Amino acid sequence: MLIGTLVYGFVNSAILALVAMGFNLTFGISGVANFAYGAVYIFSGFFAWILLNSAGLPYIVCVIGAIVGAGILGILMYYTVILRVKGIALSEVMATFGLGLAIMELFRYFDFVGFRYTLPIFFDGSLSMGEVYIDYQRLIIALIAIALTTFLYFFTRYTKIGLAFRAIAQDERTALTFGIESDRIGALSMAFGSALAAVAAIVILPLGTIAVEGGYEVLINALAVCIVGGLGSTVGILVASVLIGYAQTFTANYLEPHWMILVSLIAIAVILTIKPSGLFGKQKELEERV
Amino acid sequence: MQMLKVENLMVFFENALALNDFSMELDEGQIVGVIGSNSAGKTTLMNTLSGLILDMRIKEKRRGGERITIYGKIIYRGEDISNVPPSERVKKGIVLCRERHPVFGESSVVENLRIAGYLKSRGHIRKTIEYVFEVFPGLKRLRGRKAGFLSGGEQQMLAIGMALVAEPSLLLLDEPLLGLSPMMQNMLVESIKRLKSDSGMTVVLSEQFARPVLPMIDHGYIIENGMLTLSGTGQELMDNPEVKAAYFGV
Ligand SMILES: Nc1ncnc2c1ncn2[C@@H]1O[C@H](COP(=O)(O)OP(=O)(O)OP(=O)(O)O)[C@@H](O)[C@H]1O
Ligand SMILES: [Mg+2]
Repeated sequence: MLIGTLVYGFVNSAILALVAMGFNLTFGISGVANFAYGAVYIFSGFFAWILLNSAGLPYIVCVIGAIVGAGILGILMYYTVILRVKGIALSEVMATFGLGLAIMELFRYFDFVGFRYTLPIFFDGSLSMGEVYIDYQRLIIALIAIALTTFLYFFTRYTKIGLAFRAIAQDERTALTFGIESDRIGALSMAFGSALAAVAAIVILPLGTIAVEGGYEVLINALAVCIVGGLGSTVGILVASVLIGYAQTFTANYLEPHWMILVSLIAIAVILTIKPSGLFGKQKELEERV
Repeated sequence: MQMLKVENLMVFFENALALNDFSMELDEGQIVGVIGSNSAGKTTLMNTLSGLILDMRIKEKRRGGERITIYGKIIYRGEDISNVPPSERVKKGIVLCRERHPVFGESSVVENLRIAGYLKSRGHIRKTIEYVFEVFPGLKRLRGRKAGFLSGGEQQMLAIGMALVAEPSLLLLDEPLLGLSPMMQNMLVESIKRLKSDSGMTVVLSEQFARPVLPMIDHGYIIENGMLTLSGTGQELMDNPEVKAAYFGV
């Protein structure tokens, strides 16, 4: 039982890390807290579902389509809405949150509700480790989370765009003196963040159904991880994912599965009272932004 | 050949006039000094030449503010670039090194130099990084260190090195000697002269004190309250009693 909890706790941590990664990336680079993040997540899920079931495309094409589609949605949101309010934190939050609500509730309005909205798992079957069984889909989630973290580490250190991401995150005006434009990089950071939300959706959603409520839950979890870890800090995200991930799994296994989301909410409340900048966050940045 | 011509530049921040009818001209290969005390308008001039002020104005306008006003013309190599955005100016070879040695503190020295090469090819970046290490040998052994952990002087060398990676034809240095020891100042002055002799680079540098820079410049402009009060060759300014009194310190 304990081994099982540890293994599932790890998978749950990977899920949280995946979910928070895109939100954190966009915020870390352009300073925009994208409250439409959960909406992008379920948009990706429904979009993949439509490509698969209504257009009848091969699944791999649907996956790529959803990731690219989410990226484009991110760029559109950036240029049509975020750019207008950029730098005014409260307006950014209102604008992205409103946009997110509109997207999610539109899906509900057009009746995207019910058990038929599911995405296929990648491989059937499961792996046994002693008396613990773990299905391949959960293994894939853990692997993808590790792979993406590694990829982002190297991407931001060795590629031009990655270096430009880090430059803008540190000092926008100095970056501009080398021709790095904050608007362009900001749009790219939304594209990347949204594409990461799509990747998370594609691997995580097969565990359940695609539902509008899932979008709200994803946003809460992403916020919890980022606030506990410290917005913009990659190490913080990983540590917070593990902390909240295990806390959720223990709660679900030994207390009550319904309380999982409560763990995230309590974590937000506790960290905001004790250390508002998060475990690894920079106090100054948060004070400036929030 | 004439490289840059600034005509009647005026910059307002709200109602405050930071640059007042400022004009200057410079030829290819010259080193030009802009000398003025605190809040004289040096940084405003540099930021206007590099396009940063234009960018600030555009971003402000987008949010509905109208705080910044710019009048006047900047002619670069015969082309009016007054409305050209900063990244395009970098492409044309106008590169600014901002005041107070701005470096990306969380990134290593080499990463900083690579960031500066955003618009350049990998080959060019590799080559100029070697050149930067040649001009500033002290940076080489620090290549892996986070820029935030460098001393002020080291950061200034890095900041100028970064500007070099962006391949300037016209290098704008905003108070490069600020906060440096006399020895370090001499070393930087020698490096700047070397840039001119190595590649014929044109340099505009601003400074509060005239003493370290007047001997090296071809032409100098004295600026007070955003206004040009005096200009002349380095020697002419050195001989001027008013300049001596105001900008030579003790
Ligand atoms: N963004 C801004 N908003 C409002 N006023 C500004 C702004 N930037 C500069 N100013 C004002 O314009 C004037 C000129 O400032 P500037 O920074 O150009 O001076 P400086 O010569 O560079 O001074 P220092 O030697 O202290 O760096 C100052 O009075 C300053 O307060
Ligand atoms: Mg200044």
